[in-house]
Amino acid sequence: MNRFECMQRLASRLEHELVILSLGASVDEWYNAAPHMRSASLFQQQLGCVTPQAFGVAVGLPHRRIVSLDTDGGMMFNLGILATLANEQPQNLLVVVWDNECYESIGGPPTHTAGRADIAAIARGAGIEHAYTVKTLDDFDRHCEDGLRARTPYVLVAKIDRSVPGDIKRKHSDGREDKYTFVRHVERTENIVIMGPSEHN
Amino acid sequence: MQANAVEQVIAGLKAAGVTVVCYLPDSLLKELYPALDRDPDIRTIRVTNEGEGAAICGGIWLSGKKSALIMENSGLRAATEPLARMGMGAGIPVVMIMSYRGDLGENNWWAIPHGMTMEPLLNAMRIPYRIVDREDAIGRAIADAYAWSHTAYYHSAVVLAGSLVR
Repeated sequence: MNRFECMQRLASRLEHELVILSLGASVDEWYNAAPHMRSASLFQQQLGCVTPQAFGVAVGLPHRRIVSLDTDGGMMFNLGILATLANEQPQNLLVVVWDNECYESIGGPPTHTAGRADIAAIARGAGIEHAYTVKTLDDFDRHCEDGLRARTPYVLVAKIDRSVPGDIKRKHSDGREDKYTFVRHVERTENIVIMGPSEHN
Repeated sequence: MQANAVEQVIAGLKAAGVTVVCYLPDSLLKELYPALDRDPDIRTIRVTNEGEGAAICGGIWLSGKKSALIMENSGLRAATEPLARMGMGAGIPVVMIMSYRGDLGENNWWAIPHGMTMEPLLNAMRIPYRIVDREDAIGRAIADAYAWSHTAYYHSAVVLAGSLVR
C-alpha cells in the first residue's frame, strides 16, 4: 500500500476538517495530495508533537473534526498520548499513523514497528477501543469513513511501503510561515482572533 | 501549597482567560491540582509527561483558546524537546507554571538537580520567567506571562517558590 494513494483517498473525504501533520517526506506528499486542504493543514517537523497538538486543537474546537497525520517514529516517540486520548475520549479526532517501519527521511533505518511493536495493539491496550491496522487501500478508505464519523478517538495504523512518487513538488514554506497560514485559516473559518494586532501604548 | 496561593493561581488563570490546564502532578503544588479539577470554568487534562502536555497546550493555542502547563520544575527538562520545536521553529507559545524544587531550603537529595538545572535551562531556551514567593505577586506574574507570550509567540514561565509552596 502506497502512502500517496492513501492520502488522496483521505483528502477526497475532507472539506471543513483541520489537519495536523508530520514528518519528513509525508509533509510534501500531503501538500501535493490535498491541495484544497493546504491552508487547513499545519505542516510541522515536530517528532512526538503531532497527535498531542491535534488533540489540543480538538479540545479547543470540539465542534470541528481534527485529523492527525502521524508516523510510526513520531508515535513511538511519545506513546503516552495514546493513554491520554483514551482517558479524555475526544469526540472529534481521527489519528492516522503512517507506518512504513522505518525512519524514511534519513535513509530508512528501522523503527520498532519493524520488530515486534504493534501501534494499534498498544493503542487498544492504552484504552482506545477503535484502533486498527490496515494493509489495503480499500480497508484504509473504509476506516477513514468510519473514523471521520466516530464520536470516540479513532486510531488508524496504515502499513505502507517505502515508495515515494517521483514527481512530488517540495513545499517551500517553513514551519513559521505554515503556522501563520494555518492560524489565519482557523481565524477565518471560526470567526475568531488568535494572533491579533499589537496594542498602541 | 498555601490555600491562599491556590486561590490566587486559579484567579490569575481565569483573569488571563485560561480555560484548559494540562498537568502532571507534583508534591509542592499538590493542593492546586484537585482545586483545578473541581473548578467548573477550567478543564484539566492529566498527561503522562510534561512534553506531551506542552504539545497539547500548543495545539490549544492554535485553536484560539488559552491554556497552561502546570508541573514541577523537573518537567521543564522533559518538555524541552517539544518546547524548542514549537517555540523556536514555529512560534507556538506555551505558558508554564512550575514549582521551584531544589531551591535553597530543599531537603530531598533527588530534588537538587531540579534546582540546579531550572534557571540555566530557561535561560538557554531564552524563556523569560518570574520567580514568585509572595502571594500578592501571583496574579500579576500570571497576567504578565500571558501578555508576553501572546505578543512574542514564545514560551514564558511563572515559578512558584519559597513559602508559597513549602
